[in-house]
Amino acid sequence: MKTDTSAVNIDRDKGDFHYKVDYGYDAGVGLDERVVNYISDVKQDPDWVREFRLKALQTFESKPLPTHWASKDLEAIDFNKIRYYLAQGQRATRSWDEVPEDVKRTFERLGIPEQERKFLAGVEAQFDSEAVYSNIKKAVGEQGVIFVGSTEGLKEYPEIFRRWFGKVIPTGDNKFSALNSAVFSGGSFIYVPPGVKVKHPLQAYFRINAENFGQFERTLIICDEGSELTYMEGCTAPKFNTATLHSAVVELIALKGAKLQYITVQNWSPNVFNLVTKRGLAHEESEIKWIDCNIGSRLTMKYPGVVLKGRKSRGEVLSIALANNGQHQDTGAKMIHAADETTSNIISKSISIGTGRATYRGLVHVPKHLKNCRNNTECDALLINATSRTDTYPAITVRGTGNSVQHEASVSQVSAEQIFYMQQRGLSEAQAMSLSVNGFVNDLVRQFPMEYSVELKRLIELEMEGSVG
Amino acid sequence: MSHGTAVLEEVTQTPAVNSTVTSAPPEAAGDLPRWFQQQREQGWREFSALPNPSRKDQAWRFSNVDALDLSSYRFGNALSDHEHAEILERSAVLNGKSGRLIFANDQLLDRDALPESLRKAGVIFQPLERALIEHEDLVHKHFMAQPAVLGSAKFAALHRAQVRAGAFIYIPRAVELDLPIEIFHWLVDENAAVFPHLLLVADEMSKITVIEHFRSFNQTAPGFACGVNDLIAGRGATVKYICTQRWNENVTALQINATTVERDASAMSLNLHLGGSYSRFESLSRLVGEGARSDLLAVAVAHRKQEFDARTLQDHVSPHTASDLLYKNALDDRARTTFGGLIRVEPHAHFTDAYQKVRNLLLSDDAEANSMPGLEILADNVRCTHGATSGQIDEDELFYLRTRGIPIKTAQHLIVTGFLNEVVRRLDQPAIAAHLHRLIEEKFGNARG
Amino acid sequence: MQQLEIKNLRVAIGENEIIRDLSLSVGLGEMHAVMGPNGSGKSTLAKVIAGHPDYKVTGGEVLMDGENLFELDPDERARKGLFLAFQYPSEVPGVTIANFLRAAMQARLPEGEELEATDYYAKLYEKMDLLEIDRSFTSRAVNEGFSGGEKKRCEILQMAMLDPRYAVLDETDSGLDIDALKVVASGVNSLRGPNLGVLLITHYQRLLNYIVPDFVHVMVHGRIVRSGGKELALELEEKGYDWIREHAGEPVAA
Repeated sequence: MKTDTSAVNIDRDKGDFHYKVDYGYDAGVGLDERVVNYISDVKQDPDWVREFRLKALQTFESKPLPTHWASKDLEAIDFNKIRYYLAQGQRATRSWDEVPEDVKRTFERLGIPEQERKFLAGVEAQFDSEAVYSNIKKAVGEQGVIFVGSTEGLKEYPEIFRRWFGKVIPTGDNKFSALNSAVFSGGSFIYVPPGVKVKHPLQAYFRINAENFGQFERTLIICDEGSELTYMEGCTAPKFNTATLHSAVVELIALKGAKLQYITVQNWSPNVFNLVTKRGLAHEESEIKWIDCNIGSRLTMKYPGVVLKGRKSRGEVLSIALANNGQHQDTGAKMIHAADETTSNIISKSISIGTGRATYRGLVHVPKHLKNCRNNTECDALLINATSRTDTYPAITVRGTGNSVQHEASVSQVSAEQIFYMQQRGLSEAQAMSLSVNGFVNDLVRQFPMEYSVELKRLIELEMEGSVG
Repeated sequence: MSHGTAVLEEVTQTPAVNSTVTSAPPEAAGDLPRWFQQQREQGWREFSALPNPSRKDQAWRFSNVDALDLSSYRFGNALSDHEHAEILERSAVLNGKSGRLIFANDQLLDRDALPESLRKAGVIFQPLERALIEHEDLVHKHFMAQPAVLGSAKFAALHRAQVRAGAFIYIPRAVELDLPIEIFHWLVDENAAVFPHLLLVADEMSKITVIEHFRSFNQTAPGFACGVNDLIAGRGATVKYICTQRWNENVTALQINATTVERDASAMSLNLHLGGSYSRFESLSRLVGEGARSDLLAVAVAHRKQEFDARTLQDHVSPHTASDLLYKNALDDRARTTFGGLIRVEPHAHFTDAYQKVRNLLLSDDAEANSMPGLEILADNVRCTHGATSGQIDEDELFYLRTRGIPIKTAQHLIVTGFLNEVVRRLDQPAIAAHLHRLIEEKFGNARG
Repeated sequence: MQQLEIKNLRVAIGENEIIRDLSLSVGLGEMHAVMGPNGSGKSTLAKVIAGHPDYKVTGGEVLMDGENLFELDPDERARKGLFLAFQYPSEVPGVTIANFLRAAMQARLPEGEELEATDYYAKLYEKMDLLEIDRSFTSRAVNEGFSGGEKKRCEILQMAMLDPRYAVLDETDSGLDIDALKVVASGVNSLRGPNLGVLLITHYQRLLNYIVPDFVHVMVHGRIVRSGGKELALELEEKGYDWIREHAGEPVAA
């Protein structure tokens, strides 16, 4: 039985290639006001955006790196050696035929146009700083769904964009959200009108092609009352010897009764610093769900969160992190309960292989005088080798008598007895190991959409190769 | 005296000084060993140089660092005869004990020495000051040998500079004490500061139980307590340590513990936290030999505006070691608790079993419980779990009790004390457990009365 | 040579010799029972045949149809037709029985050949019915949270699915009540035939009331001290192991 796994391209080797591309727009190396102004000029930003960027630059410069709690490895990022803006053109086309040949080759090789035909309601493909392609199926567009890049969004739909932009994640939330706010480019702007249920997922694909580059996409998704949306993002970059920076900001807003699911499968090459801020704002009876699969990168720091602002809203983070040799997956979740009867659920599974390190950081906050709030957190870590490391650092604050919060974590490993048992049934050591690891994530992966779960399992198998012995 | 062989030590006469404990360096005391003098000076330098804690510091996250304004505390006055007599009268807890020391305002008030059989066996139980002279090498080897790694390095330095009262206990190889040793520390007058110290060294295959009582003479006088206890369980030794912290609710208290558990030894500690306005407890348990086991137990009953702040580290240094932590907090009124705990399994400490559980029972809408249970696992073949829950009295459980005719207040009370007693039962020391139950009941009696 | 042949086997853990010059042959189509008191080395024998890495073979060999097993990895031995039913089967969290067995069967197919799903399930359900195992069982993780009886039935189910040439059943009766024992025994009996050789390791005679052996061997202190027909088991049950020990010249007190 053969399963079609071409739906999602997260095979590391598949992403490890790059083409020489001529960039028409290049902000040069390093970061200062000149670079920010260059980006604003090129993008023809309205004045309020230019001011927003310049102010954010100041915030970025004034904030220290969070090394008092986070990895010192952050100090390896040289902000003066990064290129902050690289693009061929300024407008995304609606047709693959109009995408420049050299860029189109990349996405074809990644299989994006094919997936679009098969099962997606819309696709945006970003190449370094700008989207080169953005299209939404006609029927979905006719329902009033907006799916464009952030630049187009802020110009064409200012009344919706400005109302929510930077409201869920303020510029000064952390050093990297400030950096993104100063130099953001690309990312998606999505609006789903009241009551519209988008049947098929919208997908964005983020591709880093250039060396010494920083990608700073900015995504803002608003699901109006009673609407439903699934958004998926995939990321790859070629393997370079120098550090590449990916620092996105993603803001989600689910208005009353809306359901929003955001799925990430990242498969960064091991030179990428992936420092991303993601947060959702859930209004009354709405639901925001983050599904986050972190594979690859040198250091990932990402803690998707939900602010449960409306009564009976619900937040969920389901995450899988796989830290292979030399990698540090520092991931987690934040759940801020701010209304009665809100519920949140966090399930995190991490696997550390070789010298890999997986860290879970969690924040659960149930403030005063709320009633019937519930949080459940489960963190399970699997260690494959004696040199692997795992950490768990949750912080939980609960006030009052009406709420209940539960956190559980466990650490386990694939035992020698277990491997022997499976070998006795005829499986090789590597197959046995891979089966054990898939078993470990199985109950979680089952909750993912089919296309992702199949590919994820296959990818885990690939990552497990060579980790035995 | 209660003990037939009691020998009354010469009571320490510390002259009252006007300067506060944070404004003046310790005075030289000519008869103490030189290394000890140097440690005091070193402690003072460190205390002066280290910054005040900040909430941005992970070790002080959620802590009310403003409570640590120590500017008004000084050494307490000499006691009046009336105070002296009353304290002695109130320092009777256990009927059966191997020995007892009573300190008030860091002055030695009274002592029940060990029975002769134990003294002949080589057991040492002395005030620190005397042990410094008579058993200088033993004390020197172990005195504050473990750095305070859980946030209070500054206050450990202050303790090192200002310590003047406490106990030194040494149990020789294969000696077992059937009855516990008791130590009392009293805070007496307003703005008094005390620095209770305990150094316990249990040699190979020995066995001992020690109980410390921290109390206030007066139910309202503000005060400051900054204690350190170092427990060393040598190969195959069994050490049990119990502390009942009942400072009054205007006292700021810091207690810094380091427990070292060697090969095949086991250590169990139970800290009952009842008093203090802000009370911080740091506990480091180091499992340094194969087969070592450490049980870390604590109960906090928090009400009014009390704040209890516990930070723990279960440090597995050797393979085949086990640790089990159970902390339970009951919170009423506007009380706050913080638990920051870490299980660390060092590289090569394979086959570790480590557990950590913190349970918060919130009894009021304004109570706040913060939990930070942490794991750092750098070894393989490890069985590790941790859990943190925060909730309230289960409605069904309450209903069940009420259907049996139990009034709601009584039912709540039963459920809460049952919740806490689960920890106390783990101690397996009926006489001490009964005392702890009484104290818990008393505190609830206070609150509801 | 259609047999599983143990020749002059010696096995140690560290300094401790557990199997001392043991020889035994199980032909295809034969059912051999090895009985022995606790600590006689029975379970060690089972694990060594399967290739458990904790044991050191210090002498002798085990040949399966003439091939030296000690030159093969545990999974190679399994794929060549050796099955071990474990006394204490491992839990494999999150991996369902259906997926597990499928992976094991897939591993036996030549490269590039895919297991036919419909045939697989047909066979699986047939064997499950035989062992009175509920269908819902297939979606449970291997041995996770199983009762003693469920674990043993799961072992026999795997044996039925994997069609071994030689099976070693290690204390398959331990932890079973009489009803569960009957089910497991009838499962084993249904697999008996000219193409299967079985080495049945047990402490108690009662299993042999339900699985009647062709040969019985008594193992004491790491070697076979007596062999005979099925009546030997009854004699042993009646007289106890001390009787054998006396005959074998071994010290009576353990």
